[in-house]
Amino acid sequence: MNRVGTLALAFVVTVGVIVGGAAALGLLTADGAAPAPEIENEHYLEEDLISDRTPGEANVTMSSSEPPKTILVDPGIEAAGQRPATPFAMLGFGGPDVADRDIRPLVNALTENGHEVRVYTPEGGGEQRPRQEPSGANGETQLGAELQEADAFVTFRTDYSEAEVDAIESFVEGEGTLLAASDPGDEFGQPAAAAFDSRLGVTTKPGYVYNTAENDLNYQRVYAEPGTDAGLTEGVDRAVFPLATPVGAATSTAELRPIAGSELSTTRAETDAPVLVRSGSVVRIGDTDFLSPENAQRADNDVLIGNIADFLVTGDRPAAGVSEPTGPTEPSEPTSGERQPSGSESSEPAPEA
Amino acid sequence: MSPNDSLGSLTARQRLVAVVLVAAVIGAVFAPVAYSATNEPSDTVAVVEIEGPVNAALADDVESELAEIRSNESVGAVVLKIDTPGGAPAASERMYKAVQRTSEQMPVIASVQATSASGGYYAMAPADRIYVLPTSVVGSIGLNAPAPQSSPPVAGPSGPDKVGSNEIESWARQQTLADTFINAMMAERGDRFEMPREDVANADVYLGTVAVQNGFADEIGSLNEAIHAAATEAELGEYRVDTRETGPDEGLPFLIRTDEQVVAIHANDPGYGDVEPMGMAYVHLGSVPHVDTVERFSGSELETADAAGVGSDGSGQSGGSATPSADPSAGGEAS
Repeated sequence: MNRVGTLALAFVVTVGVIVGGAAALGLLTADGAAPAPEIENEHYLEEDLISDRTPGEANVTMSSSEPPKTILVDPGIEAAGQRPATPFAMLGFGGPDVADRDIRPLVNALTENGHEVRVYTPEGGGEQRPRQEPSGANGETQLGAELQEADAFVTFRTDYSEAEVDAIESFVEGEGTLLAASDPGDEFGQPAAAAFDSRLGVTTKPGYVYNTAENDLNYQRVYAEPGTDAGLTEGVDRAVFPLATPVGAATSTAELRPIAGSELSTTRAETDAPVLVRSGSVVRIGDTDFLSPENAQRADNDVLIGNIADFLVTGDRPAAGVSEPTGPTEPSEPTSGERQPSGSESSEPAPEA
Repeated sequence: MSPNDSLGSLTARQRLVAVVLVAAVIGAVFAPVAYSATNEPSDTVAVVEIEGPVNAALADDVESELAEIRSNESVGAVVLKIDTPGGAPAASERMYKAVQRTSEQMPVIASVQATSASGGYYAMAPADRIYVLPTSVVGSIGLNAPAPQSSPPVAGPSGPDKVGSNEIESWARQQTLADTFINAMMAERGDRFEMPREDVANADVYLGTVAVQNGFADEIGSLNEAIHAAATEAELGEYRVDTRETGPDEGLPFLIRTDEQVVAIHANDPGYGDVEPMGMAYVHLGSVPHVDTVERFSGSELETADAAGVGSDGSGQSGGSATPSADPSAGGEAS
């Protein structure tokens, strides 16, 4: 029995060593037996990954002590009664680019300094871009009539009818101050804007400016810097333009140009074409959103808006209502010649509506 | 007793040797079984399909397939068969993490079919190599989102950001989201991109022929070539291919873009409830039809068109009444 036991033990040990050894070898060389390693994604933890979300603050102030002026604003907003054209419009797409709140930083600064701001609201029932027919024998338009009572005109539209452009041109020639702002989307509209710009001696260039290296939270929100620290750009180190198209003028006395490294969408090449120019009493800006409440809080936009407010009230337009007395809403101011030389002080306050 | 008799002529030592020899033979018979039981050959290349808009349902499937593959010892390598314009950021990140983890364990090769853009590119970036066809489109590393807008206040919520938010804060959030994507791509493939981060952030797409030159892809090759390369890399001798379909069987939304943003449409004949605006998306817009180009067909109109010999070229549209406005007359000429 002892011998048989020894043999049985030898049998078991031998089989066990061979089969067990094979199993152990298989286990040792098995693929995928190791636990999955911990993965460190340090790129998710980089300190500079999180963009600064502080909205900032704005302090729009005017330095001008001009007597009260009247500023007419055409925000290009839809008249009441518009209904969405598509189901997507009901989801909030579309709508005016410039709403009441968007012009408030500028308008409030003007109002707080004693100036009157009027908003041009086209008559004619729900058409966003009404093409007004001349209502008088001499081509009088609603806009023309309202401009006659204004010292300065701020517009966020450029697609005016020919009669309206006539009125705007004669307003400017009559020493009225004009600020015209449009954005790159407007170039895809009807070509009326080209005539508008041409009459005023300014230009806009298709495309938008962007900067992928240094920007205000988005490549399209470019910084622009002035060449000189005076007038419109006094105290402005840099301003933010959320969606800007290049503008130009034959002769400009002030301008803001995108910072180095900015590029133009149409060329994908570096551009230093200005996004704001001043040509005499006309300021042309290739952006409509830089003065909204939130954007006024970015960089030195609040300083720029204050400077614009000063610019709007420092014109030398003679007493408003100097044009031909044809409109039914003519003010009762005595006419004193159609184009007053710029030397005369416009000391009278603008007429009340 | 008889065994003792037969063994009786052998010495004790000889008996022991005989028993050991017999045991060794028996052991040798069972050894391969024991070896294979503990060491299954990695002889399968798993092909995981990532097709259609990137959304949570697709990410669910890709995650679970890859998790199964990682624990399945018969799978030695993975090929991602990709054809997607991108989609939801979170779903893209989930797939990215799943691919990354799998790639730590075994060779993973991405094989781009027509498109792997934006969220699709995000998902496949951790692959060891990216195969493209010459006409594949890859890239679009960036975020698509509408410009944040201020909205009228809503009375009632418990905090100012519960409903609505601050424009600037939203801009910052979007930029952070975009940077998260771009940083991840730079971490995965920054050493292969033949361009600086700033240019990657332009979010351009590149044809396969260009992508293999600028580092957005590694090789020109078809799915089969990618499978073979994966098997070779995993040192599989003979291998079999196991294709894993992913994504919901039906109900993939149409992605449509408006002038403002991308919307997912969950029905062929959608009502308002079927249209879901995608606030933010990693998507290549060029692969998403604009709403203006989408026309509405009824079933009977399609039948009429078929009867007239139009569109009977087996184009196999996704079978709905809302299909991209392929010009029926052009289709007729083609057939």
